[in-house]
Amino acid sequence: MKQIVISSFVSLLALQTTAQKEIKFTEYDLDNGIHVILHEEHATPIVAVSVLYHVGSKNENPDRTGFAHFFEHLLFEGTTNIDRGEYDNLVESNGGTLNANTSQDRTYYYEILPSNQTELGVWLESERMLHAKVDNVGIETQRSVVKEEKRQRVDNQPYASFITETFSRMFTEHPYNWVPIGSMEHLDAAQEADYVNFYRTFYVPANATVSIAGDIDIAQTKKWIEKYFGSIPKGQAINMYRDWELLSDDAFEGKYGVKRSSFDANNFLKPKDKAAAAKLKELENKAIEIPRPGKAKEQLTTVIKDTIYDNIQLPAIFMAYRFPEETNKDMYALQMMNDVLSGGASSRINKSLVERQQIAQFAFSFAYGLEDAGLGIFAAIAAKDKSLDSIQIAFDAEIQKIKTDLISEEEFEKIRNQYENQFISSNASVAGIAENLAQNHVYNGGTNKINTELENYMKVTREDIQRVAQKYLTQDKRIILLYLPKEDQK
Amino acid sequence: MKKLIIALSIVPCFAYGQLDRSVRPQAGPAPTINIKDSEVYKTANGMTVILSENHKLPRVTFEIVTGSSPRMEGELAGLADVAGSLITSGTANRSKDEIDAAIDYVGADLSADNNSIRLSCLTKHMDKGLDIMSDVLMNANFPQSEVDRIIKQNESGLLSAKSDAGTMANNAVSKINFPNHPYGEIMTEATLANINRGMIEGYFKQTFTPEGSYLVVVGDIDMATLKPLVDKYFGSWKGGQPYEATLGSKNTNAGNRVFFINKPGAVQSVIQVTFPIDIKPGDPDYLKLNVLNQVLGGGGFGSRLMQNLREDKAYTYGCYSRLNVNRDGSWINAGGNFRNDVTDSAITQILYEFVRIIKNEVNQDELDLIKSSMAGSFSRSLESPSTVARFALSIIRNQLPKDYYQTYLQKLAAINLKDIQEVAKKYLTADKLNIIVVGNEEVIDRLKPFDADGKIEKLDAFGNPVKERIAADITADQLLDSYVNAIMPDMNAKMKAKKLKKIKSMQEVYEFTMPQMPFPMASTRVWISPNTTGSKLEAQGMVFQKEYVSPTEGMSTNMQTGTETYSAEKVAAKQKSTGLIPEMNYKTSGMEYELIGIEDLDGKECYVLKLNDGETESFEYFEKGTFMKVMTLSIQTEGEETNESRITYKKYANHNGIIFADEMTVSMGEATLSGKLKTREFNVKIDIDAYKK
Repeated sequence: MKQIVISSFVSLLALQTTAQKEIKFTEYDLDNGIHVILHEEHATPIVAVSVLYHVGSKNENPDRTGFAHFFEHLLFEGTTNIDRGEYDNLVESNGGTLNANTSQDRTYYYEILPSNQTELGVWLESERMLHAKVDNVGIETQRSVVKEEKRQRVDNQPYASFITETFSRMFTEHPYNWVPIGSMEHLDAAQEADYVNFYRTFYVPANATVSIAGDIDIAQTKKWIEKYFGSIPKGQAINMYRDWELLSDDAFEGKYGVKRSSFDANNFLKPKDKAAAAKLKELENKAIEIPRPGKAKEQLTTVIKDTIYDNIQLPAIFMAYRFPEETNKDMYALQMMNDVLSGGASSRINKSLVERQQIAQFAFSFAYGLEDAGLGIFAAIAAKDKSLDSIQIAFDAEIQKIKTDLISEEEFEKIRNQYENQFISSNASVAGIAENLAQNHVYNGGTNKINTELENYMKVTREDIQRVAQKYLTQDKRIILLYLPKEDQK
Repeated sequence: MKKLIIALSIVPCFAYGQLDRSVRPQAGPAPTINIKDSEVYKTANGMTVILSENHKLPRVTFEIVTGSSPRMEGELAGLADVAGSLITSGTANRSKDEIDAAIDYVGADLSADNNSIRLSCLTKHMDKGLDIMSDVLMNANFPQSEVDRIIKQNESGLLSAKSDAGTMANNAVSKINFPNHPYGEIMTEATLANINRGMIEGYFKQTFTPEGSYLVVVGDIDMATLKPLVDKYFGSWKGGQPYEATLGSKNTNAGNRVFFINKPGAVQSVIQVTFPIDIKPGDPDYLKLNVLNQVLGGGGFGSRLMQNLREDKAYTYGCYSRLNVNRDGSWINAGGNFRNDVTDSAITQILYEFVRIIKNEVNQDELDLIKSSMAGSFSRSLESPSTVARFALSIIRNQLPKDYYQTYLQKLAAINLKDIQEVAKKYLTADKLNIIVVGNEEVIDRLKPFDADGKIEKLDAFGNPVKERIAADITADQLLDSYVNAIMPDMNAKMKAKKLKKIKSMQEVYEFTMPQMPFPMASTRVWISPNTTGSKLEAQGMVFQKEYVSPTEGMSTNMQTGTETYSAEKVAAKQKSTGLIPEMNYKTSGMEYELIGIEDLDGKECYVLKLNDGETESFEYFEKGTFMKVMTLSIQTEGEETNESRITYKKYANHNGIIFADEMTVSMGEATLSGKLKTREFNVKIDIDAYKK
């Protein structure tokens, strides 16, 4: 009997393995608004603990650009309970690793730890959310680090300004007008109060998604989350807590009308007197308003053609089209269209412009999908003595071709294969899963997209690709930037 | 029962009501890891198939590892590596382009080295992938054009190795720890020149044979699916017996030996303190030794070598130790890069740390920290299927207990202070070490006290003994005169002067190529009498760099960093080596020069002339007998950094009565460029402004 049970169990397992590999997860909201996503898998005894803050460069003030990215640096400086420089050490000496990144739409922090350090990871991230050190010492240190980063990644890179130049022309109203690295002058001009204000607006529970994937016990992890994240005050009360830590007794009482001594750090949510409790309750019920720009409304109405003189030797051309926001259904076909044009060495643009005609040194295109809008970019650096006109003609010929003729079955199959491989590989690590889960929840219309997104790509037909090419690659509405060597500037 | 309920209901209150955030969470119990047992069977043609199922993702990896031991290669040292990098370069059925295209189409990955071939793809594409993999395995045909390309790449690599102190030190470590052992054989220009297509094919046929080989399969596949695939794609694979040799490592030193590799002008010494150890993978001591090494210098910032030599003494940016344990030979090495003036002090401190860790137990905090950091990185490594594949193979090959890696973390946790001291005593032979120093000759005298018999052994860049430099039999001025006579043959002094007076300008263009670069570069150098020079380097219509120097001003323009206007000192320095034949002007230009002796350079006896123009130190090598210049080695120092460039001259030819080198190779750091003369013109009109900003 036992034998039979075991063997049927085994065949059941086998059946399951040939089916679609679904990524299971649990998700819920804490009382203070933090969205939590948990994925449990025991293949490897590690855990990825991450927090995605729904803030990027598009949430910045036009005269304070670069703040979102700056915070990505600043928030490694330590917290009330973690000394300056200690944050990294705590992770590394416990066998873990950590990092963060920033885009127009988000700021993302994570640790990968041995799974028996899950609680440490939860504590570390809750500390960062509740009371990071946002002060002049850290601001000064990180200002020079960020400036060095900009010099290395942007200023010293030939052609690198094309992203800034393209976005600023495409988006005249929407804050996609500037890019995450922002302005160093703005960072210099900003005062400590500006930084504190940014932290108090965007680094708040209701703006955060905690995503944890790996070798965890869901029930136990929920308890830790409740303990460290659940105890973070809700609504505007979080900033009352931050003030309680920073302000003198008088200043605190002056601002809130209740005694600072009514509160206790270890039990902040249970003040000692009724007045304090009432004030806390009042602030808990007042949400912090998070400014969001909403979908970009700008559409191109004509051809914008400009010349930019840069420290370069070979001229280059950048053409940009307005694509829809990333949740738009057309983006699936647009992404695949882009791969036909530019996915790898055997793609159309490379074959035509670089290998066959040899008019370009490098040539490629990409589809940029963001929360509020999208862009399609075609880029090429001219080969020696070749004109930008000839490149534009060649690009236009490829665009014309993909609008007029269906792509071949073989090309279509190759793209589908590459997509599938990419998609599956992106979930190879628990760190990848944690990030994809959070990303899908906040931006792609649902956490479960992690399981269903590939189907959406696989539903795209050759006709869809042709249709979106016709719809979005509008030759009479685009941006054309010509990059020429500074010497040519008359 | 009631008690229990009360107890339970109290717990949450306590946990949620109050929270002292300054209390840091403690680690939970060490997690167990889930490495599935692999399934193993042997095929009729002698392969051992190891399957490690992992159904997390629908992907699968196939790796064939041969059962051959490394072979002595002698005059063909490097053959195996050259062959390995050519395996996926074409078969009787497919060109390299076709292999690449087919692999791309299914989004797969195929790679090979001197004893393995590896395929990774989605499970559903494995048929297509295996078809190509088995074609490569059975029909690789090593097209001559690809052989030529790879040999060229290796030639460049060897040239770069000669100026890279780290590579020189590593070569010496291998050579000294492993005499008469394949590990101790290092490819040189001479052995590379002996390698041809036939030998590569021979190596491949002998090494890649099914008997004794392993097929390691990891991923989303089960045994029932795998078996027929193995039959279909590898069943017809035939070959001879694998080469098997019993190799090992043992320290045979009677006392400490010091080896020195000269790197002219170096401002830092690379030190490696190293010795072979007698241990194989799977030895019960291995993990303890690993922990010991982490405490000593393998564990990054907190390790003892780092704390002592960087944090405390500031001798270096980094000092590390490494433990290398292999089936065929094992060793430990410890060291780093150190300022010249602390070379001896650094060795003293490294030796001190060896002795200290043998004599005294390490402390508990140190041990705990290292253990948790090791546990973390071990656990993270398990996410990669290739780690799991490596483990599965290691269990079979090294006859380890099936649960060896499964219980790794428990074994690690159980290691105590006594264990560490025991392996320190057993393996760290602190009085029988090889102390290898690559550096400036000025440090050599201070190394003698470390050698048991006081005799320092000198090695070349590839770890071979060098002949000692001997005193020159002529003076520096005689050397310069002889050189000028050699390049302006059959002319007396008057004729030479007359000849030179007639030349008002020269323009030379060399075309430089580099294997990693798809297009050639053109280097133009111009000279206008008496002392104005210009140069530029360009490719594909881009000018990467140009320079202009006259007696009164100088500047250089770099594509990335912009224009630098030279200081008066720099202009003066540059002026010391201008002229059509700069060597003729050394006596009067203020150049410091000294003939330091006769050295062996790749089998040629050469006079070595040391030059210093106040900015750059350089060494010119003139062949004894012919007096032709063979090589120029220049060293530019900026703070702790030295940049070395090495120009080798070849193919001397007469142009307008004067002999110039028509070919040269230039090595700087990793890059090696081969140059061939395109044009050399005299008394042509030169647009010197083109070299200015």
